[in-house]
Amino acid sequence: MKIKDICKKKEKLLRLKKDEFMELPFPYNKGDFEPELRELTADQFQTIDASLDGISALGMRKPKSKEEENELVRKFISGLEKLLDPDNNWTFLMPLHHSLEYCVKCQLCSEYCPIYVSSGKKEVYRPTFRAEVLRRIIEKYVGNKGRLRLKLSGSDIELNWLTISRLGELAYRCTLCRRCAMACPLGVDNGLITREIRKIFSQEMGIAPKELHELGTMQQLRVGSSTGITPKALSNIIEFMEDDIEEKIGRRIKIPLDKDGAEVLLLHNAGEFLSWPENVEAFAIIFDIAGIDWTLSSELLGYDAVNYGVWYDDIQFTRIAIKHVEVAKKLKVKKINVGECGHAHKAMIVVADRILTEDMNIPRESALPLLKDLVVGGKLKINPQRNNFPVTLHDPCNIVRLMGIGEPQREILKRVCTDFREMEPCGVENYCCGGGSGFAIIQSLNFPDWRSSISGRMKLKQILEAFQGVISPEVKKYVCAPCSNCKGQIRDLFNYFDVNKKCGIFYGGLVELIVNALDDLKKPFIEWEWH
Amino acid sequence: MGVFTYFAYFFIVFMYSVKIVKYIKLPVHLRWELYPIGHEKKSKYGGSYLEEKDWWQKPRKKNTWKSFFSLLREYFVLSDYAKRNITYWIGIYPWHIGFLLIITFHILCFVSGLLLAKGFDVSSRSLGFGSKFLYYGILITGSISFFSGMIGSIGVLMNRIFRRDLREYATPLNFLTYFFTFLVFFTGFYSWFFTDPEFKEYRIFWAGLVTQDFKDVGFWTMIHILSFDLFLIYLPFTRSLHYITRFLAFFLIRWDDEPNIPGGRLEKKLIRLFEKKVSWSAPHIQKGKKWGELARSIP
Repeated sequence: MKIKDICKKKEKLLRLKKDEFMELPFPYNKGDFEPELRELTADQFQTIDASLDGISALGMRKPKSKEEENELVRKFISGLEKLLDPDNNWTFLMPLHHSLEYCVKCQLCSEYCPIYVSSGKKEVYRPTFRAEVLRRIIEKYVGNKGRLRLKLSGSDIELNWLTISRLGELAYRCTLCRRCAMACPLGVDNGLITREIRKIFSQEMGIAPKELHELGTMQQLRVGSSTGITPKALSNIIEFMEDDIEEKIGRRIKIPLDKDGAEVLLLHNAGEFLSWPENVEAFAIIFDIAGIDWTLSSELLGYDAVNYGVWYDDIQFTRIAIKHVEVAKKLKVKKINVGECGHAHKAMIVVADRILTEDMNIPRESALPLLKDLVVGGKLKINPQRNNFPVTLHDPCNIVRLMGIGEPQREILKRVCTDFREMEPCGVENYCCGGGSGFAIIQSLNFPDWRSSISGRMKLKQILEAFQGVISPEVKKYVCAPCSNCKGQIRDLFNYFDVNKKCGIFYGGLVELIVNALDDLKKPFIEWEWH
Repeated sequence: MGVFTYFAYFFIVFMYSVKIVKYIKLPVHLRWELYPIGHEKKSKYGGSYLEEKDWWQKPRKKNTWKSFFSLLREYFVLSDYAKRNITYWIGIYPWHIGFLLIITFHILCFVSGLLLAKGFDVSSRSLGFGSKFLYYGILITGSISFFSGMIGSIGVLMNRIFRRDLREYATPLNFLTYFFTFLVFFTGFYSWFFTDPEFKEYRIFWAGLVTQDFKDVGFWTMIHILSFDLFLIYLPFTRSLHYITRFLAFFLIRWDDEPNIPGGRLEKKLIRLFEKKVSWSAPHIQKGKKWGELARSIP
């Protein structure tokens, strides 16, 4: 396949065949265990363009007329110009400029991309592919260049609606894990280029996956959370969790809500309240035992740390970051601690650091160092024998490779478990869970199939390899994923491949393991219930 | 030829400077660092100051020299390439060594030109250590550079032709560059090997440049100098500046973990950027507003 094929009229640029994907270890190396990737239905196919690889994340509508096609092209070029303009894109122009100008296309990054490798090395998923498409479009369509320059730069792509639609989809075939960027000796970041393509679509053309935009950032700004939880619903959930804690540990804990002047405002990904309340409960138990002066918030956005804007739209990202800090300011807390949510870590602590100026610059940190101090410092009575099952650790890209927080969780695990085993590779070289950059929450059309069979495939391989000696379903095993989105992805991945049943592997957060190791607990905190 | 050489050097310095200034003057960006970070004391495993509880209350130690030298070392070994793709490295390593040594060769030629202009002798018979050092330095760097660069040019060309993934992404400009570098190194090698084994003509030419009393040189040396001059003029139109922008990318982007301290210089820059007018036109972005106003608006 050639780069210029991106603009060709063809039903699909790539036909995905599962027997060409990367092989998985035992017990998935024999037999037909893997479902077929679903095709779009005939109705969907009529209206939605999936001409890249038969998959749709964006739900891009096919234009109905020549005028609509032209309008798409006009808007895309206008967005491109703004992307390269220091007023409109001061936020990322320098890294974008570097990555567009100085890639020598040595392809060292390709082998570092789990999606490219998992797919059986399909050309369209190569990290440099979409970047090169964008580069050639810019060369040809932005600014006035002479004929000789165009010839020498190989700018042979025609910018038609198919090119745009496929490039938009391609921007959602990369989890922005930035492993490719780590491999680049010249500092080129193809992950960033992917994110910037998403920005053209969102900020100029108003096109983004509905789970990220309409149901994500827009809903969060409107009702307080991308999950749809309202402040009133939150109060009910917290009451339920207090009952649940009482039942599990035999005593009632009051979960502090809107406590004025507390030391710590703990921000969770609101997905925890709905899907993994045991994670929120475990935090409450630990903080209660350790005597931390903390609170949750019931203000709009104050109970949902997520900031999907970080994946696709700078404006939405900034709006949410500011709202989060306004909540902390109102409560007069000393600092914000981010719970087990990778992208919220990176968004709030790192990326928003240059948005939050003057009185908005409230100290923000990860909850992991605090938890480590509590475990290592002896504030909690730990008995690692209570976690006497094999445990492996998934490193969320946002927390580890993109923030440099890798040791606290390891120090904790070494103290609370008896059989902690690393995945290979791990730490900053880890592989993404496959649900990064919003993939874990995109549930529409046939994208979830692709997410499990291709983007999560490398993680599944790593997990299976970590447990190879004890892979039998009779042995309970635990994947510790201190990130809400990663947990969502691992849940879907395990469901897709029926991992829990076939291999007895369970997943959960870090704090659940800490609480499960508490010496004076009457019964285990981890219930091993698949959900 | 002397005037043309002056022009070629002036041109490349000017064009590179313009590009570097343009790069550095781009607005400060949001943090987008990637670990491991060279100056971090925990860089061995990719840790950061964010691993500390209450990190903002603790002193932050940056080892900038360590990161600087780790980047510099890479120029001489290209170990990232060697580790990740040895066949690719076999092609580009001699090519890059050719470039590094040809730059050194020219610097030494310039210094020897200065000495010759002052009446010193630069030859194998020179009595002074400096002159002898220059003589042998020129001999070693020139000969290795031309040979290595010539082999490397063929190596990178072969890589681009025979590896499908490299060929597909190569542009005509890439091939022109490989051809050009081969020409430069080949003419240098030929003139050295067959006509001027001691690089005497170069020293005379450079002395002429320094005194502006331009001297004639042999045909092959002239061809090499002319092709090198043309190559200098051509370089700014390629991606060759990655030699320098690599440093910028690591220090200004990939390793830029500088926190925004209240009242600091960075904060002042950011506040000015919030005044920028934004013209994105998606429905959730109100037109005509400044960045700061948009950030506090509700779509």
